Amino acid sequence: MARSKIIKLLILLLSILLYFIYGNYLLIILLTSIFTYLLGNIITKNKNFFLIVITYLIVLLPFIFFKYITNITNLNLLQPLGISYYTLSLISYISDMYHNKYPKCHNLSDFLLFSMYFPCLFIGPINRYNDFYKEINKISFKKNNVYSSLLRIGIGLIKKFVIANHLMIIINTVATNLNYNGLYVLFSLFIYSIMLYNDFSGGIDIVLGISKLFNMDLIENFNHPFKSESIKEFWNRWHMSLGNFLKDYIYIPLGGNRVSKIKNKINIIITFLVSGLWHGIHYLLWGFINGILVILNIKTKNKYVNYFLVFIFISILWIFFIYNDTFLSIKMFISIFKDFNLSNFNILNLGLNIYHYLIIVLSLAIIILYENKNILKNINNLYSKIIILLLIVFMVLLFGRYGINVNTNNFIYGGF
Amino acid sequence: MKYIKIFLIFIIFFIIIIVSGKLVSLKYINDYPEGSFISDYYYEENNHDVIFLGDCETYTSFSPIELYKEYGITSFVRGSSRQLIGQSYYILSETLKYEKPKLVILSVGGIVNTNQIKEEYNRLILDKMKLSREKYELYKYSKMDKENFLTYLFPILRYHDRITSLNGDDIKYLFKDEVVSHNGFLINQNVKPLTVLPTKKNLSSYEINKENIKYLDKIRDLCKDNNIRLILEKSPTAYPYWYSEYDKQIKDYSIKNNLEYYNFLEMDINIDYQTDTYDSGTHLNLNGAKKITRYFGNILKDKYGLQDHHSNDKINKEYEKKIERYEREINEKNN
Repeated sequence: MARSKIIKLLILLLSILLYFIYGNYLLIILLTSIFTYLLGNIITKNKNFFLIVITYLIVLLPFIFFKYITNITNLNLLQPLGISYYTLSLISYISDMYHNKYPKCHNLSDFLLFSMYFPCLFIGPINRYNDFYKEINKISFKKNNVYSSLLRIGIGLIKKFVIANHLMIIINTVATNLNYNGLYVLFSLFIYSIMLYNDFSGGIDIVLGISKLFNMDLIENFNHPFKSESIKEFWNRWHMSLGNFLKDYIYIPLGGNRVSKIKNKINIIITFLVSGLWHGIHYLLWGFINGILVILNIKTKNKYVNYFLVFIFISILWIFFIYNDTFLSIKMFISIFKDFNLSNFNILNLGLNIYHYLIIVLSLAIIILYENKNILKNINNLYSKIIILLLIVFMVLLFGRYGINVNTNNFIYGGF
Repeated sequence: MKYIKIFLIFIIFFIIIIVSGKLVSLKYINDYPEGSFISDYYYEENNHDVIFLGDCETYTSFSPIELYKEYGITSFVRGSSRQLIGQSYYILSETLKYEKPKLVILSVGGIVNTNQIKEEYNRLILDKMKLSREKYELYKYSKMDKENFLTYLFPILRYHDRITSLNGDDIKYLFKDEVVSHNGFLINQNVKPLTVLPTKKNLSSYEINKENIKYLDKIRDLCKDNNIRLILEKSPTAYPYWYSEYDKQIKDYSIKNNLEYYNFLEMDINIDYQTDTYDSGTHLNLNGAKKITRYFGNILKDKYGLQDHHSNDKINKEYEKKIERYEREINEKNN
């Protein structure tokens, strides 16, 4: 057996084993994947309407049950790990098979690797079979990838454990005490933006770094989202795998922009409502407002002012994610205007001391350097590479927030 | 040459991790001194006649320095906060690697506790304990969810969050340690009288956990195998309640196993919960400890024939220093 096939098989077995240990309900993901593989391949030849409905139902039923029905009925059940991610990947496969977009999968183990590739189940990105297939056929171990992969994993760890987990303290402090005045609420929203970016993109960095170790270049999920000049641009740069999914499987099938202006606007709203619904039932209003902002497309001539405005709007809308309740989110949003008091504001009252802020600022500087310049990436000297990687490990170990008393070890987007 | 350089880089990294771990670890000197009691034992120069084991009742009730001053008996309290009976077993196992005392006195107050309730209690006993098989077994016995032995090998994994709140002790004691206790005894001269005793609750079961009895058996057997006399005792505390049902089970156990059991709650030691406690009757203060130590010391001398070491120059010299430090600390706190 070729070396790459052995690596592929080992990754699949490891994914199944890890899912068995950590994933909850291994049988659901296995059966759903096998059904999708079998029915998807039949669909390529037989475009039977009922068959496609049945296939969608089989894939969507566990998702609807665990995501919505358990929520509405207050059933206290563990959610299968990565159900949102693999469900969307499987739906994309069925749809693509129906439209004959690319050749069907001929190998069940390749298909299982696509649906169960363990790193992606934690936090995404949402893979498409044709992209993923190209990458799994490249699977190998290349010495040249080791430094860049480990560097990216290290950067992901800094983002998650040093930055996001510390910033989470501020958010929890404000969110659990509704007596904080409007300025604190506003500040916590800005912090949430920075925290969520570091938490989510940090997780993606780890996933993409691990994949790169096996020579797989999975799709990027972020493209400098805070360099967006409009809300529309922001959503083209943030959680790109979800954005592309919604564009290809919701927005374009609805007619996209090849319809009347009114219909196009309705299509945008529907797409964002679906995005809200994917996050959870509480996020419908969040999706709707985002849709409106995309349609309004507020912009000035100065790009820096635009960056700032996008940051403000996007940050304020995260209020639905912080409070997890539509009415409470609206109430807290109103409090920003009703109870805005500059005189009492002190960032040292939010659970972090001055040294924490220094560590966060230093770490953010490293992240900005990594994401915008190639200084760290283009190092050729072996010893310098080892020292940089060890310094990152040291930084995470000493300055990270993790361990027995920390409840924020999970990635936020792992829950969606 | 290339591999040697890489190896050296990793060695330096390892040293940095170890030193950083030491920097951020709790030093247990001025803050949480209870965490030093177990390790203070390693600084002892001579063997002991008596080893005390048990929870906080031991290190607040028995003062080895008073015991030596009055009777010339050498002793050490290897007690720790909420020490579980299984932990006492492993501490005894470790102690026997260093010496074989004549008596082991086990405080039974903690025998009613089953699981550990806070990771911090495990930290107080384990953090400064020397790396050994006993340490690992003790960890396994009382480990809590999410607790990981790696954090005891590499303290940076547990205490890294202290990097933003280091204090003077962290620098001062980075590469050195200091004996904190007085042979495992904690001097506390504060007085907080007992005012209202909490209501005595009826428990659903008064039966001492079988697992705990199993560890009591193991302590009994370990002492027997090493020709050490095991004595059980219950210190005088007003609260938590030492139910008569508990007492009966310990009495029955001691009779069945031919052990002595002293319930100081039933003895006329003249403990006054208005003056002899620092926390309304849960622990004794120095006054209370002096009373019970003298009382018990008399029994130990008369009944078990322990030798007065005042005439032993080597031991006396060591204890003179200890007495001086003990009295200095008492006087400093008085002033």
